[in-house]
This record gives sequence, structure tokens and C-alpha cells, in this order.
Amino acid sequence: MKWNSIRTKVLAALVICLVLGVGCILALMYYSFERNSQVLAAESVSGAQKLFAILEAREISKMTAVSELLVTNPQVGDAFVAKDRTRLLELTAPLYSKLKSQGITNWMFHTPEPDMTVFLRLHNPPKFGDHLNRFMDQEVARTHAMVSGNELAKAGFAVRILRPFYDSQGGVTGYVEFGEELGQFIHAMKDQTGNNYGLLLSKKYVDRQFWADSSAVWKRRDNWDDNPSFVVADKTTASDSIIRFDRDLAAVPDQGKVLERFQEGNSVLVRGIFPIRDAAGNTVGAMFVVRDISGFYLAMRRTQNILIILTVAALALGILLVLTLLTRLVFRRLENIILVATRVVGGDYESEIQVTSDDEVGQFEQLFEQFRRVFVDVLSHVPELQEKR
Amino acid sequence: MSALNDMKLQIEEKIKADGLDAKEVKGKIGLRSGKLFAFINPSTPDDPEAIAKFRQAAKEILNLSL
Repeated sequence: MKWNSIRTKVLAALVICLVLGVGCILALMYYSFERNSQVLAAESVSGAQKLFAILEAREISKMTAVSELLVTNPQVGDAFVAKDRTRLLELTAPLYSKLKSQGITNWMFHTPEPDMTVFLRLHNPPKFGDHLNRFMDQEVARTHAMVSGNELAKAGFAVRILRPFYDSQGGVTGYVEFGEELGQFIHAMKDQTGNNYGLLLSKKYVDRQFWADSSAVWKRRDNWDDNPSFVVADKTTASDSIIRFDRDLAAVPDQGKVLERFQEGNSVLVRGIFPIRDAAGNTVGAMFVVRDISGFYLAMRRTQNILIILTVAALALGILLVLTLLTRLVFRRLENIILVATRVVGGDYESEIQVTSDDEVGQFEQLFEQFRRVFVDVLSHVPELQEKR
Repeated sequence: MSALNDMKLQIEEKIKADGLDAKEVKGKIGLRSGKLFAFINPSTPDDPEAIAKFRQAAKEILNLSL
């Protein structure tokens, strides 16, 4: 192969096209994958946010319906007004065991203000008489109407409702509270979407000692020191490594934030986060969303491989076609002209150039053949050659 | 005797010995050296420049040292 031949130059140009073509496909696929994984992550975050809001609203409706029935039950009302804790427990305990199976984890009766202490805890009857004074307690005392929302207690985060009990004159005789741990939501969300979730609580709102005590009670590892600014209250995966966030939860925008794509083992995952506010509007926690996009990644890789194979095959075929055409239309005919010219100079005056076409090379063939005839005619008049001929 | 003619005869012998296409080989040497074989005969004058070109062309095309 001659390095300065047209064939080599054309081949080199086509090979460069091939390499550029494959490079462009790789770059395009990578860009497309990056964009799509961002979109998938953003969808997962917004989808999780909506699902969380739906679950929250559904649970509030459920607790509201139960509380409606409760405040209109005269036996319960009488026992509460009479401050008969034993009777109240007898009347409500069977219902609590049913509600517990429906996810309601907290049920309390509070005495009216100014004391507003816990009169009865269905989920922990021996413990009573303490004063809670949380934001929602203050709100229900202030408005004397039902309040609902998320609230972080010392060791847990729950969606709660609080509503007053009224006597026949419309005076408040106490309050009833239902609550459901938000940690339960993430398992329901995983069942629905297949994504993994983690519920993070800001350390600013969690009591360290209470967290240690509750970890012991719930037989879970005390993970207080795992992260600088938050604790993982619950998660749907055994892996700790997928939940990684080193910023302040309060800085997470309301619409959530896509974090990044990462790999764990053979899985390709994207993660995002959205804030969770309490009834007072504080960002007390966040929901961490992890979506497995391995299937999408594999499909992209398969498409990428197919595209590369098709491009290489198409360009290889193109190279073959171009070189074949060039050989037939140009190179072979030029070689024939060179051969005829050489032979004429070597003494073969009968050798002729066949004009095969009227294309550019054909015009050159015709010109060269005319030149050859003139040359042979000139030679025929040279006396030295006339003898030989 | 002309040196060029001697060289021409040696080339023709080599072509014959190797069974090559005489017209084509002569044409190549002629084009390379700028000297037509047909014009070389025993009375061709010994032009040193023409001899050198002829010798070089024979070397390059036939690998023949003249």
C-alpha cells in the first residue's frame, strides 16, 4: 500500500469518519443516558413526594373518621369527663388493637388546658400525667378545633390529628390524639413503586438520649453518629451506603432535589431527596429516594452496542463500496492509461487506450489516446524507426 | 561501440532471461531515464548524463547493475 496514493487517503478519510461516527454515537448515548437518568430521578422524587402526600392525606382522613366516631360516643365521653382512666381504657382498648393493625400507633387522651397533661396513652397505659406542650398541642388549645399534620416527637416522626372533646354546653373537656409513625409510609411506598426510601430526621429536632433509649427499646442499632446532621429513622433497604447526604436538610428545596447517579455492585441507581415539614412549617426531616435504573442502563448499553455494530457495518460497507467504485471508475482506468503509455514508450505502437466512458476519466482517456496517435505518427516519421517498423 | 547501446543489450538479455514483458519494461526504463530504447543504437553518442540516468533506471526497475 502506497501511503501517498489517493486510495490510501480516501481509506484514511473513511476510517476517520468511522471513528468519528462511533465516537459521536458513544457521546450521544452517554448524554442521552445522563439526561434520562436525571429525568427518571426527578420523576422518582416528585412521584415519591406526591405519593407521600396522598398517604398522609389518607391517614389523616382515616384518623379523622375514627375520632369523629369517638367524640360522639357518649360512654367514652362520660368516662373521659369523669376522669375514669380504667373505664376509658376498657372502652377503647379493643378498638385500639384494631386500629393498631391499621397502622395507628399512637392514641392519647389529654386533659384540657391549662394543665393539658396526658390522661391516657392507649399505646402505653402505665405512662400518663406528663405535659407535652408541642406545637400541635398549643394549636388545638388555641383554636379548639381539629388540627392535623406531621410532628416530630422526641424519638419519632408521626402524622397526627388532635381534636377536642366537648360537653353538652360546648365546653372543651379534653382532647384526643391519634398518630401514625411516618416510618411506616416508606414501606407502603416501596410496595407501590419498587423504589427504596429512607426517612431522615434532623438532629436539631431529636433528643440524643431519647434516640439512644428508643433504639434500645426497638432493638435497632443506635445510628446517631452515622451522619453529622441527621439520623435515619427508617429505611426500606438493608444497605446503609445508598443513603448519603452531607448537606443541611433545611437547604433541600421544597420541590426536592436530584442528587446523583451511582453504582452499587452491578446495580446502577439514582438518588434524590425532598423535605418533610412539620405542622409548624419547620423542615424537620427529609425523604431519601433511591431508584434502581439498572434495567434502563442495560437497555441503553444494548442499544449503544447495536448502534455501534450497525454503524461500523454500514461504514465498512460504505468504505468497501467507495473503494470498489473508485477502483472501477478511476484507479483501474488510470492504471491502464499508464500501462499503455509505458508500452508505447517501450516500442508497442499498436497498443491503444480503450475509451470506456464519457466521464471525466473517459475524457482523459480520449485525450491521451489522441496524444498517443500523434506521438506514434511523429515516431513513424523518424528515419531510424522506419527501418525497424 | 556506444556505452548506452551496451547497456541496452544487457537490459534486453536480462528481460529475456527473466521472461518479462519487454515492451512494458523498456517503456518504464525509457520513461524513467528519458531515453527511448528505439533511439539507442551502436552510433549513439556517450552522453554521461544519459548513461547515469539509464543505469539508475535499470537498477530501480530490474535491479540490474550496469
